[in-house]
Amino acid sequence: MRIEKCYFCSAPVYPGHGMAFVRNDCKVFQFCRSKCHKNFKKKRNPRKTRWTKAFRKASGKELTVDNSLEFEKRRNIPLKYNRELWSKTVEAMKKVEAIKQKRQSRFIVNRLKKGKELEKAADISEIKKNIHLIKAPHAGQAKQLEDKMVQKLAEDVEMDE
Amino acid sequence: MALYNFKKIMVVPTAKDFIDLTLSKTQRKTPTVVHKHYQIHRIRHFYMRKVKFTQQNYHDRLSQILTDFPKLDDIHPFYADLMNVLYDKDHYKLALGQINIAKNLIDNVAKDYVRLMKYGDSLYRCKQLKRAALGRMCTILKRQKQSLEYLEQVRQHLSRLPTIDPNTRTLLLCGYPNVGKSSFINKVTRADVEVQPYAFTTKSLFVGHMDYKYLRWQVVDTPGILDHPLEERNTIEMQAITALAHLRAAVLYVMDLSEQCGHTLSQQLELFNSIRPLFANKPLIVMANKCDVRKISELSEENQKIIADLIAEGITVIETSSLTEEGVMQVKTEACDHLLAHRVNTKMKGKKVHDVLNRLHLAIPAKRDQKERPPFIPDGAMVRRKAMETDAPKRKLERDLEIELGDDYMLDLQKYWDLMNPDEKQDRIPEIWEGHNIADYIDPEIMKRLEDLEREEELREKAGEYDSEEESEDEEMQEIRQLASQIREKRKLKILESREKNTKGPRLPRTAKKVERGTLEKDMSDLGLDMTDKDDSHYAQRSRSLVRKRKREVSAPPTSRTRSQSASRPPRDQSGVRDAKMLKKVKVLMKGSQKEMNRQGKKGESDRHVFDLKPKHLFAGKRKSGSTSRR
Repeated sequence: MRIEKCYFCSAPVYPGHGMAFVRNDCKVFQFCRSKCHKNFKKKRNPRKTRWTKAFRKASGKELTVDNSLEFEKRRNIPLKYNRELWSKTVEAMKKVEAIKQKRQSRFIVNRLKKGKELEKAADISEIKKNIHLIKAPHAGQAKQLEDKMVQKLAEDVEMDE
Repeated sequence: MALYNFKKIMVVPTAKDFIDLTLSKTQRKTPTVVHKHYQIHRIRHFYMRKVKFTQQNYHDRLSQILTDFPKLDDIHPFYADLMNVLYDKDHYKLALGQINIAKNLIDNVAKDYVRLMKYGDSLYRCKQLKRAALGRMCTILKRQKQSLEYLEQVRQHLSRLPTIDPNTRTLLLCGYPNVGKSSFINKVTRADVEVQPYAFTTKSLFVGHMDYKYLRWQVVDTPGILDHPLEERNTIEMQAITALAHLRAAVLYVMDLSEQCGHTLSQQLELFNSIRPLFANKPLIVMANKCDVRKISELSEENQKIIADLIAEGITVIETSSLTEEGVMQVKTEACDHLLAHRVNTKMKGKKVHDVLNRLHLAIPAKRDQKERPPFIPDGAMVRRKAMETDAPKRKLERDLEIELGDDYMLDLQKYWDLMNPDEKQDRIPEIWEGHNIADYIDPEIMKRLEDLEREEELREKAGEYDSEEESEDEEMQEIRQLASQIREKRKLKILESREKNTKGPRLPRTAKKVERGTLEKDMSDLGLDMTDKDDSHYAQRSRSLVRKRKREVSAPPTSRTRSQSASRPPRDQSGVRDAKMLKKVKVLMKGSQKEMNRQGKKGESDRHVFDLKPKHLFAGKRKSGSTSRR
């Protein structure tokens, strides 16, 4: 029993789900649902269909080359069952998975950092241009002027005295 | 080899069929329409084509017959003789000759009539010529009826002849009828020849095949031969004789010891001697058949002497019984060996051998050293061989286990697994974890790689890759963000407001709309200005007093009379009205007069517009495309 990968969107295909298509050149295509199957029949390129994993990896939106990704690889030579190797593998799998997740999220965060900076700059320029919509430029000036006059008067009075 | 083409001869149609076929073909495959008014060359061409087409068809078909049927001179003399025996060589050749003549005649007829057609000057003449030509061709063919029938029968019989290869290894069985030739062939090969107690059960040659020493052998069964001179032999016996004469085979002369065939041993010997000349240059074996009934030792004195004589002459005599299969194998091996030796000898004496011999070299490897190199038999095979021989008890099978346990039996194939630690055989192996296949991760070096990865991860953490950025920004940035979002919101609201304006109507100046004091003060205070006591500001005074307060300037031009008059005149809905009661009534009257207008949606008294509520082009008529189910 194996969990296959959907050819189109790279989602896991559990047993009992999806469809498989075998072409005349003996290449097998697994699909997770009819959406992917229909897209495939329409001859759409998964590397150009924005919602697929293939697109995301091809356009650099997700982590592609990393050591933690090298652990999961389809192996053609089966090994004989060996309890200790299997149990070690399961533990290793869990750790590798944790590391992989960390690295993938870090990659995405790094990618989005630039956006945050641009946001900040946009906010600042917005304020500079359109502050008049929420705050009148001469908002506190009357009071200031008054205060100044009062101060001046007080000074004058002082001076007179 | 013309041998195998006997089955591929085309069917010879009867004369009537042949004629019908060709004429209908002419009718179908040539143009059929011709008129009197066509140009004469066209008419001539039309009819000439028909004549030529018919001639071509006949010619092709007859030529095919002539080429398909084998020429007696070209095939192997065995078959030539056989066909002579069966079909009479002369008759056969005559029939084919007749066909040939017919073919030539047809060609000539066609040629003549085509030549004549060139001088046909009307449609009728040409048509008659064509009729005549076709008629003559068909008559010629009608005369060949007998030949065609005969050839068809020959073809059918030919295709059913057994395919005897005259050059390969053959064993030939001969003897009196009912001696046991067919039983022998049934025993030795897979042939299924009829065996019956009456004489001449076998009426033609039969072939069976058998294998010996990895070679294919033909065994030919013949009809029985009776002892009379050659001229008096009938067709059936002649087949046997032909086979004997032409096939280079080992001859098995079958004798019936028990004389159940109806002929004594001496008679059989007589026959043997009379056919003796046919056995020249052929390995000979005499089969003393039916020995289950009577053995040689049980024979009478004279008969035993006959047998002894035969043996003395150097002929192998073997006792056989087709029934009990005694001696059958012996006969087979002896005959085959003899024949092989004979064949090899003849080949050696021939000329072709030397070409082959020059190229052949028998290499006998000499021993390299004295080392013993016996054949290698693996232990398992030795054990199994011993077990087979001694019939030791076999290992316990699953089936035995199943029977033993009855209902409790569970098929557990995991116990046969060949693992490094046999006590792990009953483990349930995990295959999937959280959407990943465990099989994809298994690697003998996985622990090492994991360690490397973890080390790398530590280094990265130390380098500060995973430090979360300052999530708490300074207050300034937060304020900025908040302000920016407020600005954006305000802009959106303004945009929505401006969308609600009516841009299609009349564009009024800003002063036409009265600005409420409350909204003005509210908006300004939202913008941050101080609007607390503004009672004596310019906008808070009433508008009338505003007008009065404004001093008229000296340089201002005098206003017109109508203006000043209209300023002092009361409005129309108040002029002439004495009191409130009258005012009320007046109002009611006004409303009453307006009711009808309003109901009709008119703009005013002077609105005379007539609406076209049911335009004809929408409510009547057919549509050009589409249905009129909506109106």
